Amino acid sequence: MAKHRRYPAYDVWEEHANWDVHTRQIVGARKMPQVAHSYLLPAEALLLQAIVSVLVDDHRLEVLTFVVAHIDESLASPVGESQRKVGVPEKKQLYRLGLAGVEAESHAEFGCEFGALSAGDQEQVLKRISGGSVKEQEAWTHAAAVDFFKKLLHDTVQAYYSHPLVWSDIGYGGPAYPRGYVRVEKGLTDPWEAKANGE
Amino acid sequence: MANNDEKRHPNEADRARSSQDGLVRKYAEEADVCIVGAGAAGGVLAYELAKAGLRVVVLEAGPFWDPQRDFASDELSMQRLAWQETRLVAGNDPLRLGHNNSGRGIGGGTVHFTGVFLRFHESDFMTRTADGVGEDWPITYHDLAPYYDKIEREIAVSGPHHFPWGAFQGPYPYPVREPISANAQLFREGCDKLGIESVVAPLAILSAPFDGRPPCINRGFCNQGCMPNAKYSGLIHHIPKAIAEGAEVLSDCTVTEILMAGDRVSGVLFSHQGLMHRQMARVVILAGFVVETPRLLLNSATSRFPQGLANSSGWVGKAIMPHSSHDVYGRLPEEVRLYKGTPVLALTQHFYETERERGFARGYTLSAHGSRPVGMAGAIATEREDKTFLWGKQLRETMLDYNMYARITLVGEVLPHPDNAVTLSGEKDENGMPIPKVTFSYQENDRKLYQHAIGQMNRIMEAMGGKPEHVVSDTAHLMGGCRMGNNPEQSVVNEFGQSHDIPNLFIAGASTFVTSSGSNPTNTVMALAARTADKLIEAMQQRDV
Repeated sequence: MAKHRRYPAYDVWEEHANWDVHTRQIVGARKMPQVAHSYLLPAEALLLQAIVSVLVDDHRLEVLTFVVAHIDESLASPVGESQRKVGVPEKKQLYRLGLAGVEAESHAEFGCEFGALSAGDQEQVLKRISGGSVKEQEAWTHAAAVDFFKKLLHDTVQAYYSHPLVWSDIGYGGPAYPRGYVRVEKGLTDPWEAKANGE
Repeated sequence: MANNDEKRHPNEADRARSSQDGLVRKYAEEADVCIVGAGAAGGVLAYELAKAGLRVVVLEAGPFWDPQRDFASDELSMQRLAWQETRLVAGNDPLRLGHNNSGRGIGGGTVHFTGVFLRFHESDFMTRTADGVGEDWPITYHDLAPYYDKIEREIAVSGPHHFPWGAFQGPYPYPVREPISANAQLFREGCDKLGIESVVAPLAILSAPFDGRPPCINRGFCNQGCMPNAKYSGLIHHIPKAIAEGAEVLSDCTVTEILMAGDRVSGVLFSHQGLMHRQMARVVILAGFVVETPRLLLNSATSRFPQGLANSSGWVGKAIMPHSSHDVYGRLPEEVRLYKGTPVLALTQHFYETERERGFARGYTLSAHGSRPVGMAGAIATEREDKTFLWGKQLRETMLDYNMYARITLVGEVLPHPDNAVTLSGEKDENGMPIPKVTFSYQENDRKLYQHAIGQMNRIMEAMGGKPEHVVSDTAHLMGGCRMGNNPEQSVVNEFGQSHDIPNLFIAGASTFVTSSGSNPTNTVMALAARTADKLIEAMQQRDV
């Protein structure tokens, strides 16, 4: 997190009393994520957390725990994937194979498990997978590395940018019902929005 | 969801009856009309037909939403407003489905659409004659104009006094939206500098009170379901009105098969809470959108109709079209705050009609489009036009400047091609129905068109004072798959949506589109549905179907 936040004094959650009840429940639950997992095995969950941390460049445990819990929940859920490319395994299987593939790639390149690698080496492993230029081909015979990476990055980013701490980081106004916005034009902000000068 | 608290929902009684207390049915013996799908088309039809005194049953696969209790100001959780069942996708440019283009539940896609409410142009109905591409529709703009008028008045569309493109020049029934968001202001200023005319978008979002509903409060969550009920949806307008006129609307009921008696449709088979039921009807209207309607027709094959129903032409499922909908995100030196206000408040159709010197046929609409963190981060991370990924430090640092970004979005015409199609795969869902496979590849004209649009979006972004940084490859909407036409050998339905093969089977909605146009399709979906309703009422009164 080298780059500074524009709105260091802003905390979107401070406004939660002004949100409708349903939204408050949904967002509030993200601040207290489940640590027990329904689909992922303990080792898979730990590995996933380490990968997520690199993908979003963030080490805050409460945020990472939520992202992993959200992905686990979606893996256990009967709700569909909206779409799946022909030839790509079902999401459950894709994650199982893909996580094993990350571990295999880590061993092939650095001779140890992903969680034990330096941040730079972890990035190197994920870079190979994202480009499909893996050293350990055999681990990816049933699931293409790029397909896994895309799904993983997509799911990770969606969950990460749904966490109120991250909303605060980027100055996102967040939930806006029932009050809406009065001042929407250029240069105008409503009193509760993030202010760059930290007010 | 017990129903003993205060009445907060106009359809509380019906909601409870349809989904909670088992299936109490009003027209269990037989209905005059059974409509499959309660979206943009199904809602209009249900209301018009019930008003005419017909016994109408609407079957909807998804839930009967209550905006106050089921919607939220949140992107991630509101993805459930979409059709999330897995479809297989294939082709060179596999489509993103789900929230990108489909709805599930009463109101269908209107529950989470942006509300942009445009008419097609005259040329959109005759691209073969005008430009030698695509196919002509069996109707002209002028056949549909009275129905555009009707729908726009009925739902109080807001828009500019003068609309500079196409046959309809305004004014719109309700006043233009004001104020507009910073992103929309900047877009209009950028267009001005380049001599490109722009307008405040015509919207199915109230600019003043109407029918007991309040004007928009600029909450900005149109795509997550409108909570104040300022935005039109079938859920809060047509369906409650249809119920008041006597229609029965059954949610959580998935139609799995169309039933035949000889050469005519006799009803449908549907699944509710794991049990199968029948609804018999004199007429069946399929309004289940571009994927599910062909899927049902293909899955209802009989020995008399071995290729699937209404498919003697072989065109069921073929020539589906999304809009190309690339985005340009540009970084500005000032705050834009893309989360504020109605997402689309300004647009231009300056590039709408064919200009031969551009090297491609047809054209497009460009809109200033808001964006929220999940949408923006997801798109710039995983849907980049250059097919790379953005992650780690680069993604995080980009998103730290979230408030500095502006966004422009394309609605680009995609020409029909028979290889872009919905077919049945070998895999089955929990109802035993084959999972649909959706195949899509851009053709040469489509690619030239969106590349031109990306160039213009970059230019406008620069004129806004922004630096274009992220080009996202995306599509929006879905049309075709059961196209209308005069020739039964090359189309599925006639100009009113009536099957060429089976006279008491109708198809409504975007699946009957012949071409895609470069405009958001909902106004045209609803106008066509109103036209079908008129025809059907007349025919049923004369016992002609």
